[in-house]
Amino acid sequence: MRIGVILRYFDSIFSMGPILLSLFFVSCVETFEPETEVFESVLIVEAAITNEDKRQQVLLNRTFRLEEEGPNPESSATVRVVDDQQNEFVFEEVEPGRYLSVQTFSAVPNRQYQLSIATSDGRTYGSDSVSLTPESQILDLYASREENSNGQDGIAILIDSQGNQSGTQSFRFEYEETYKIIAPRWVAVDAVVIRERPSPAIIILEPKTEEQQVCYNTELSNTIILGDTENTNQNGLTRFPVRFISRDNFIISHRYSILVRQFAQTREAFAFYETLNEFSSQTESLFSQVQPGFLNGNIFSQEGESDNVVGFFEASSVTSRRIFFDYEDFFPGEPLPPYASDCSLEFTPDLLPSSPGGASPLVQAINSLRQKYVEATGDDNRPFVLVNRPCGDCTALGSNVIPEFWEE
Amino acid sequence: MKKIFWISFFLLPILITAQDRTPRISITFQDKTLTEVVEQLGELTDYQFFYVPQWLGTKVTSGNFEDVELSELLDFLFGETNIQYHVGPDNKVYLIRNQTIYDELPTGFFGRSPLLGDTIPVISESEDSNPIFLSLDKEDGPSEIKTIRIGKASSRAGNKKYTLTGFAKSNSTGEPIPNLAVVVKGGEDGAVTNIQGYYEIELPYGKNTLITKSLGFGDTETNVIMFNNGQYDFVLNESLEQLEEVIVEGSARTNVEDATTGSNQILSEETKNIPLVLGERDVLKVATTLPGITTAGEGAAGFNVRGGNTDQNLILLDGAVIYNPSHFFGIFQALNPFAVKDATIYKGNIPARFGGRLSSVFDISTKDGNTSNFSAEASIGPVTSNVVLETPIVKDKASLLIGGRGTYSDWILRSLDDEALNNSEASFYDLIAKYTHKLDENNSLSATAYYSKDNFSITSDSLFGFGNRMASLQWDRKFSEKTKGQLVLSNSQYDFDIEFDGNSNQDFELGYTINETEVKLNFVHILNDKHTLDFGVSSKLYLVDPGDRSPLNPESTIESLEIPREKGLESAVFISDNFKLSDKFLIDAGVRVSVFSALGPSTQRIYEENQPRNETTLVEEREFGSGDFITTYAGPEFRLSARYLLAPDLSVKASFNNTFQYIHTLSNTTTVSPIDTWKLSDTNIEPARAFQYSLGVYKNLQEDMYELSLEGYYKTSSNVLDFKVGADLLLNEEIEQEILQGEGKAYGVELLMRKNRGKLNGWLGYTYSRSFLKFDSEFREERINDGDFFPSNFDRPHDVSLVANYKLTKRFSLSTNFVYQTGRPITFPVGSFNFNNSEFVLFSNRNEFRIPDYYRLDIGLNIEGNHKIKKFAHSFWTISVYNVLGRNNPYSVFFLTDNGEVKALQSSIFAIPIPSITYNFKF
Repeated sequence: MRIGVILRYFDSIFSMGPILLSLFFVSCVETFEPETEVFESVLIVEAAITNEDKRQQVLLNRTFRLEEEGPNPESSATVRVVDDQQNEFVFEEVEPGRYLSVQTFSAVPNRQYQLSIATSDGRTYGSDSVSLTPESQILDLYASREENSNGQDGIAILIDSQGNQSGTQSFRFEYEETYKIIAPRWVAVDAVVIRERPSPAIIILEPKTEEQQVCYNTELSNTIILGDTENTNQNGLTRFPVRFISRDNFIISHRYSILVRQFAQTREAFAFYETLNEFSSQTESLFSQVQPGFLNGNIFSQEGESDNVVGFFEASSVTSRRIFFDYEDFFPGEPLPPYASDCSLEFTPDLLPSSPGGASPLVQAINSLRQKYVEATGDDNRPFVLVNRPCGDCTALGSNVIPEFWEE
Repeated sequence: MKKIFWISFFLLPILITAQDRTPRISITFQDKTLTEVVEQLGELTDYQFFYVPQWLGTKVTSGNFEDVELSELLDFLFGETNIQYHVGPDNKVYLIRNQTIYDELPTGFFGRSPLLGDTIPVISESEDSNPIFLSLDKEDGPSEIKTIRIGKASSRAGNKKYTLTGFAKSNSTGEPIPNLAVVVKGGEDGAVTNIQGYYEIELPYGKNTLITKSLGFGDTETNVIMFNNGQYDFVLNESLEQLEEVIVEGSARTNVEDATTGSNQILSEETKNIPLVLGERDVLKVATTLPGITTAGEGAAGFNVRGGNTDQNLILLDGAVIYNPSHFFGIFQALNPFAVKDATIYKGNIPARFGGRLSSVFDISTKDGNTSNFSAEASIGPVTSNVVLETPIVKDKASLLIGGRGTYSDWILRSLDDEALNNSEASFYDLIAKYTHKLDENNSLSATAYYSKDNFSITSDSLFGFGNRMASLQWDRKFSEKTKGQLVLSNSQYDFDIEFDGNSNQDFELGYTINETEVKLNFVHILNDKHTLDFGVSSKLYLVDPGDRSPLNPESTIESLEIPREKGLESAVFISDNFKLSDKFLIDAGVRVSVFSALGPSTQRIYEENQPRNETTLVEEREFGSGDFITTYAGPEFRLSARYLLAPDLSVKASFNNTFQYIHTLSNTTTVSPIDTWKLSDTNIEPARAFQYSLGVYKNLQEDMYELSLEGYYKTSSNVLDFKVGADLLLNEEIEQEILQGEGKAYGVELLMRKNRGKLNGWLGYTYSRSFLKFDSEFREERINDGDFFPSNFDRPHDVSLVANYKLTKRFSLSTNFVYQTGRPITFPVGSFNFNNSEFVLFSNRNEFRIPDYYRLDIGLNIEGNHKIKKFAHSFWTISVYNVLGRNNPYSVFFLTDNGEVKALQSSIFAIPIPSITYNFKF
């Protein structure tokens, strides 16, 4: 068993470690602004071609200094995938650092693929040969109300999957979650400023011209989710938690959908992702830190070992499934989670400026686009009640276009 | 009722306060015991009496005195008893029971000479024998000098020298008194008792006056008339002085006179004034204030001795190995401080009788139980409580000591409001028992059993436990005055287990166990005045269960897995000679030949030569049957050390030694974790070895009040373990594929200044040391930092420690620690990058940066309980503040990706001043 597996199981323990310690020992964990002492510019390659017939994607980035903001895309590189029958798939840069194959293609079984990259500074990199991993199945994807290891109530997205590899099955999961947002204090009209000056400003109420009550937002997974059967007597995973959503998270307030993509991985690819995961979440094991080091993938510089490159090129069979559920399905009659914004806060700005020639606080509030009209007060000096924008306008949090896949 | 006045480790004084100030006394008593009379006297007068009630007996007496001197009254009271009195300054009267040996009464006890004829025979039988004449004058005052004779006068005596041997033991507890100086008055010869209280001294024919000196025991003078070789045991009264909380002096000049380089002894009693976190007394923590011994950080388990890894220390408790002597990751030591007598640490030249680890030996011994009285010692602290009980089983022969310690952290957790925390658990305890039995003059037996256990679970779905178990049986036998033997049988075990019971169907339990059984036979033979031999054999059987995992319930899909048991046999023969070339030149030359065999049944994987070990280079799997010798490693280990005395209090020492280690920890964390496992050497993993050279100068000043030492060392090691990046160690059947073996290099200079006596005592140590590792290979995956030397995780060049204790009054003392250390090396990112929709940091070369320097100041106040009459127990308060400066010392720096963004975090264990108060008492 990988120690990482143990540690993963114990992530929660170790994350509690500091709290426990702080009880007795007044320990503390604090953030700090790190500064790069010695910077190494290293090419980062993210390249997983799949058995889906599509424009396959390769992402090229470079490391950047700790004190800087990423990403740092690597542009103008030549990217190709070659198979063992000398078929060459050329990639083109569609946006900085993002390279798509010019033609659509899918990885097919029993063929060897190799990635080669030439950067604009003339350096070349190549990967080991990889072949497509056997297809795997998602037997079931379902939501269930559970408590997580910290005793928190919420919804776990669980997967039952089956692999067809010989030996241990290794999976990596990505998800795309979409949720419906209903602005809790939406009204059909908007306050519109007709005249700002001279004072008094003229503000009227007009029907809203766009959908602001119901929206949808989609987010991509940003954690490395790995599952394998190494320790089990099965060739698949059962009730494997892909995602846990606390019941306090507003995203499950109405209707929620998740698309899970399951990548069948080789042991080597799995180990690469797992090490990366360990190094980035090791962390909280307060007393014993996993010894970090250089992350070796299967992509190497053609020039020599001194030119470091990090990345793993894989050809993965991918399969996906989507589910939907409503809050009522699991929490019937229970209060909704708190909304993304505090909608009990009400503002009644003065219509008239506090000093002659100044701006009207009400006009400023409306024009800032940070607050929305909900009702009139009847008081001429402070005519309107405003709330935080997301409370009256869901486009602050998502898109008002119903996604194509959406089912009610 | 008076029976509750016990004495324990030192004489418990009973203070009687008085109101009167007149020096002349009038008193009447009728059929009173001596105790009652003394009490009455105390109330009537200004004198304070210090005594042990039992000594005064139950005999009743009557008297009527008008206006007499105290001495007249005391002469009356004690004239016919064996009690001597001594009137000290400040009107303090000490009542001391005389030493009774050979049933002789001290000379001059009943006034003057009447019994002299019996005790000092002056025999002159022939002309060629030198008659011994004693001057029978002088000697006044109550402290009489006793005279004993050894052997019968013989006609062939002449000017020969004879050997006097014997033991020194405490009158009150019967325990041996080590480090007692036995000195010939007016001469230069002397001896020091060893750990068993044994001494040996050569004396010329005739009358000699022996003086004994030791802190904690009253000085004595004894006239010894030597006619032949013989034995004399000193039975000493513990001195009242020990009430004062001084740091007890070790043996006066051992640091100068020993041949061993790099050894330190810590007495547990010494440590009680040193302020430590949460008021925990801790011999091992105190050890880290000595030069050359460090930890990876506050709260880190394990020690790094002279640049060695934490697995390179042999930690022995009464001769048996303790694998993890710590609780709660390393915050607490797992040894009951009241049960520990002392710890001797060998970090330079390791004596030949020890082996199996590269860097050091921590030889910890527990106390022998009190053979005369029941006694107890306990402490109550903010997190833990300790208790030790001692009781005689056979009076003066056999005793039992039992100790226990536990924490109430569990209770604290459960009483919390937070739901997540009151489901959690963090508890530990340890138990110890020791039985000692003196079978006869020449044989003694002792047995120790020890158990420690830690449990913690912070989430509701997991439970984590680790523990030590140990038992040892020791038989000491004196074959002759010159030959002593010791047989030790021991068994030790360390295990941990993890239970995971979560929501998914992956519930499992996992366990690891290492067990070793050793038998060791050791002899010390004094060949002549120049040679003392220490030799023996030992053999140790290891049984390692490297891991098993099983489903916790029927629903679990976890597959059972058991990594096959590893067996190994480690044996050694050793001999060393303490060779006194001249008065100035002493050599301790030893050799130890150790042999290790990995035993079947086992499957050994054979890989291609000179290739990295992985699936593709696997050649075959070779099967070995039960009891087969899979592979055997053997080699000589030299332990050479020499001392040259430049002056009686100035010496130079040099040593060379090499060591082998056949057992390795597997850890891919930067500091010790309780789930680190131990692995035996096998076909693929070779034993580690080390060479160390040291040279030092030692000087004592002002009659050993100050000790100075300066020692340098250079050490190399090979086949030390490291692991590939991201290695999987637990439950890995092909663990050798993850292991790298490389070399180490360490050097340093250690300066230690100690002040042993006086109101202010303590020590100041400074160490400059470096420690490097190197893992080179022609294959990239087996190289770390391009195959160059890099600083180890515990390379902390500058290390300053100050431990000081200042006695304000008899009851109050102040103590302080100051520690400064260079920050430990860490692997710091060389940049960040985007991957998988989130940000990560990139690590490159190992240990190129350091966390900020560490410093800390602690202050403690120790208060002795007041000395009230009829007080049941002797008490002692310790109030301390750990990290007074509130320095936020980073323990580690780490980076995590949270919600797609990199967060840089810095953790520290004790970031603010931590006050604590501990109550200790004994009776």
